[in-house]
Amino acid sequence: MALLDIKNLTLYLDGPGETIKALEKVTFTLQEGEIKALVGESGSGKTLVVKAIIGALPEHWRVKADRLTYKGQDLLKMNYEQRRQIMRREIAVVFQEPTSSLDPSVKLGEQIQESIPDEFVTKKWFWERNKQRKEIATGLLHKVGIREHDRWMNSYPYQLPADVSQKIMIAMALASEPRILIADDSTRGMESTTKTQVLKLLLKLNKTKNLSILFVSHDLLAITTIADTITVLYCGQTVESGKVKSLLKRPLHPYTKALLDSVPSFQSALKTKSPLTALSGTIPSLQHLPAGCRLGPRCPNARKKCVQVPIMRSIQGHNYSCHYPLHLPKAGKKDPTDDKFGEQDPIKFNLINPALEEDSADD
Amino acid sequence: MTKILCVKDLSYTNSRKTGLFSAPRTFVLGPISFDMVKGETIAIIGNNGAGKSLTAKVLAGAIRPSSGSITFITDETSQQSSHSHPIRMILQHSSSAMNPALSLGSVLHNTLKLNTRLDEAQRQEKIKETLKLVGLLRDHYYYYSHMMSDGQQQRAALARALILDPKIIVADEPFAALDPSVRSQTVNLILKLQHELGLGFVFISHNIGIVRHISDRVLVMDKGQIIEAGRTEEVLADPKEVLTQKLVQSHFSLVERHASLV
Ligand code: SF4
Repeated sequence: MALLDIKNLTLYLDGPGETIKALEKVTFTLQEGEIKALVGESGSGKTLVVKAIIGALPEHWRVKADRLTYKGQDLLKMNYEQRRQIMRREIAVVFQEPTSSLDPSVKLGEQIQESIPDEFVTKKWFWERNKQRKEIATGLLHKVGIREHDRWMNSYPYQLPADVSQKIMIAMALASEPRILIADDSTRGMESTTKTQVLKLLLKLNKTKNLSILFVSHDLLAITTIADTITVLYCGQTVESGKVKSLLKRPLHPYTKALLDSVPSFQSALKTKSPLTALSGTIPSLQHLPAGCRLGPRCPNARKKCVQVPIMRSIQGHNYSCHYPLHLPKAGKKDPTDDKFGEQDPIKFNLINPALEEDSADD
Repeated sequence: MTKILCVKDLSYTNSRKTGLFSAPRTFVLGPISFDMVKGETIAIIGNNGAGKSLTAKVLAGAIRPSSGSITFITDETSQQSSHSHPIRMILQHSSSAMNPALSLGSVLHNTLKLNTRLDEAQRQEKIKETLKLVGLLRDHYYYYSHMMSDGQQQRAALARALILDPKIIVADEPFAALDPSVRSQTVNLILKLQHELGLGFVFISHNIGIVRHISDRVLVMDKGQIIEAGRTEEVLADPKEVLTQKLVQSHFSLVERHASLV
């Protein structure tokens, strides 16, 4: 059974006059011992997915899902206390920008000790307990590869270099011995030596502790280094998912292709100083979501049919939702309307149209 | 190749008293020397705290160096107005660098007003040209910073830098905070501008992939010194210093994993 199982997660925001789907049918699973990368740019909704999992969304936002389960238990049906227990012991999150989630006025030693659940401190008397806490904290720092534990425990967050603070955040997340670690953009803005260190650490934890990791990022170099599987999000929709290997080899969705193209190091044949292939435009904001496939207005292959949300199809564990997948020209039913709309015909994409939305929402 | 910039023995010393009795902490930058030719791209790499940003600031004139010189070699024939600034800087977080209370148009307008002797009509013309150059629309004149996407902000930052017709642009981690597609667009825009205007481009980056793709030369910094310098492909193929080797190897170890998969 999947540790974390999410099917058709949709997040509704009620705006003035219209309801926006900030996430639309996001689907993925996280298996025991798996490292899964959740890939997306800012505005793709990856942070919203994380918040939906940990239950940190504002209450008036409506979350609907066919499944949102942890070890088979429905997270959406749980009461506050049950959910808190899971978050306290089973799922740990390392947020973006570690320094902003630490208390700037408290020494790190104290903050790390605070993250240790009470039941781990077994000694009876408070002086013994304090000593034990300290030992556990030291152990945690050793586990993440920090040897100068005394120095950093006596420092304040602002004194930490980026790599150390990231490692300390991971150490604190590990304090409760969780089953799942959610790393939200952990390698953003790191230079390559620090990055490799953090990635090595995550890999080691995965191997030795059988820790499942949801690695949320858009750093494709980092992702290909550690992840087993990838789920790509664009603008709140799951566009493609599968094994890292098959996505890299044969991306089926134009967006995945564009992401891979954006990494010059992936293309050995690329001439230096030649322009990089990039989709034009930027990810639309929530107020201006296009109808149907949300990549539509930027997609080089878009045709008339794309104003309907493509359903998720699967070949050999490789899932994609695109009407005209790359590398698969024959797949899918031939649509007679296709021929009339060659690529030269610019298709106008209207802003979200509720009628169309409903039509396409059945699968 | 025409030389446009000559940096000689540039140094800067920063000492800060941390306590009443403790010795002041000193950071010494430099001496740094290098030349730059027209249209060249120089990348500065190194670990955090190596003095890369400080170097960029000293180059851009935001910090006065303790000693040394920065000389611009201008060719007489150029029709650049004499009051234009030869080096302009782009900050890492272009979104927070622009005054949120002013529209892009007024920011550009003020920049021209304070730095040039152009009259109103000329200023408007210049703004129009510059917006077009960086791929923005005429309408973006009226946009405030919160109305623009990441990519547009990046273009706005470039517009602010370019409006004074600089010869060289210095950028501190211009790509780090950007999403992949915006990053590729920005890289392409910079390549295009360099091609069209012969701009020199100095940038700090930890993204070795991009450094390799767009830079001609690379300077490796550590503890305020340039420890290694040379043509990018040579330095990356055969790094001499331990630090450079580490930076390069850790990058290629990430790339190798990708290569083994496809
Ligand atoms: S469904 Fe259409 S618009 Fe969307 S990615 Fe596929 S081809 Fe492009």
